[in-house]
Amino acid sequence: MSLKNKSIQDKTVELTKLVSWFDSDEFELELALDKFKQAEELAADIEQDLSTLKNEINIVKRKFDSEK
Amino acid sequence: MEKSRNPVFSVSDFIAVANQTLEYAFSTVEIEGEVASFKINQSKFVFFDIKDSGGSVGCFMTVWQMRVPIEDGMKVVVSAVPKLTQWGKFSLTIKSIRPSGEGDLKKSFELLKAKLDKEGLFAPERKRLLPRIPQHIAVISSTQAAGYADFIKILNDRWGGIKVDIAHVQVQGSSAPDQIIRAIDYFNQQENLPEVLVIIRGGGSADDLSTFNDEPLVRAIAGSRIPTLLGIGHEIDESLADMTADVRAATPSNAAQILVPDKEEIKRAVNTQIDSLLPRISQIIDQQKQLINDKLLSVFESIEISFDGYDRKIESLKNILRQLDPKVILARGYALIRGEAIVGEIIQIETSKIIIGAEVKNVIKK
Repeated sequence: MSLKNKSIQDKTVELTKLVSWFDSDEFELELALDKFKQAEELAADIEQDLSTLKNEINIVKRKFDSEK
Repeated sequence: MEKSRNPVFSVSDFIAVANQTLEYAFSTVEIEGEVASFKINQSKFVFFDIKDSGGSVGCFMTVWQMRVPIEDGMKVVVSAVPKLTQWGKFSLTIKSIRPSGEGDLKKSFELLKAKLDKEGLFAPERKRLLPRIPQHIAVISSTQAAGYADFIKILNDRWGGIKVDIAHVQVQGSSAPDQIIRAIDYFNQQENLPEVLVIIRGGGSADDLSTFNDEPLVRAIAGSRIPTLLGIGHEIDESLADMTADVRAATPSNAAQILVPDKEEIKRAVNTQIDSLLPRISQIIDQQKQLINDKLLSVFESIEISFDGYDRKIESLKNILRQLDPKVILARGYALIRGEAIVGEIIQIETSKIIIGAEVKNVIKK
């Protein structure tokens, strides 16, 4: 899934995974800079989404004052 | 006998005309009074009298129209159609009934609460969790209500990207429970079910909020396939609908707070996570440097220990060698003899201080 199609929640989960990698046994200093850049990009993307995404509000057309 | 100018009716026609007249005069009438002689026949038909100090009228309704528990002595308001029955008895056909006295509202509330509690509708194990961040929600409210505006404002302030379907319904008055039930059914029948069903209503009088103590409405909330979140009235108001919902919010604004996280908090948390990484990397580099230094130090120490060992060994060998030095032996008083042990041969005798030339006089074997 590309970054654009992911929800904020997906991105947040991915960021948490990336950050926890730095504290995990899988940590390798050689990969740290790349991982850091990825995390930074993801964080900027999340912030951008949070600032720009609007809720889509639809009033249902159906009337509820009678059975149909 | 003079013929009367008044029309002559058959009994049935008279009843029909009387009912037409009543319907014309009072298509629906609301009457407040006290319930007496309340009874339910065949679990279907409800009969009681509504009375005050000056009179009493018989009432009829079906059990399904009874939205709240009623019993003798309760003060109620009935919405009814007056009718003359085929047996000539005047009665009220009840369309709706609700307790009106404050004590009676409470009594009715307590009776229904006990009944639903016994059925397990409020049991904690029935409660479902709401998704952490829903992407599609349904809201049932009056779009003109202040509570709805508060909810939408807080929701928009806190989060974005959610599909919000709104069902506009009345949230007070006699038709409110049925409208809300229809909206609950509508959302529960959608192909793509919303992840949360939010029911919103701002504060109001006990009578206004009594909509949310309506038995069929409470059951519809309990039966919703979609997890429910209710934000009704103020913090102190508690309805049976609240007790039945999966999650109860204290107010409509609180419902929005429960539903979604605050994006500003998330932004701060995300930045804090990123900010923590560089010091973390520096810390790891420092740890690695320290590790390498420690290893180097350990290697140096090992080499040093080895050198010390060699030094001691060499010193010991040197000591041995020193002991073996002929000069040391000569110094101890010994002499070194050079030449052949043959009689008449000249030999050389070296001491620590002099060298003597000597002739071999005899050779005796030991």
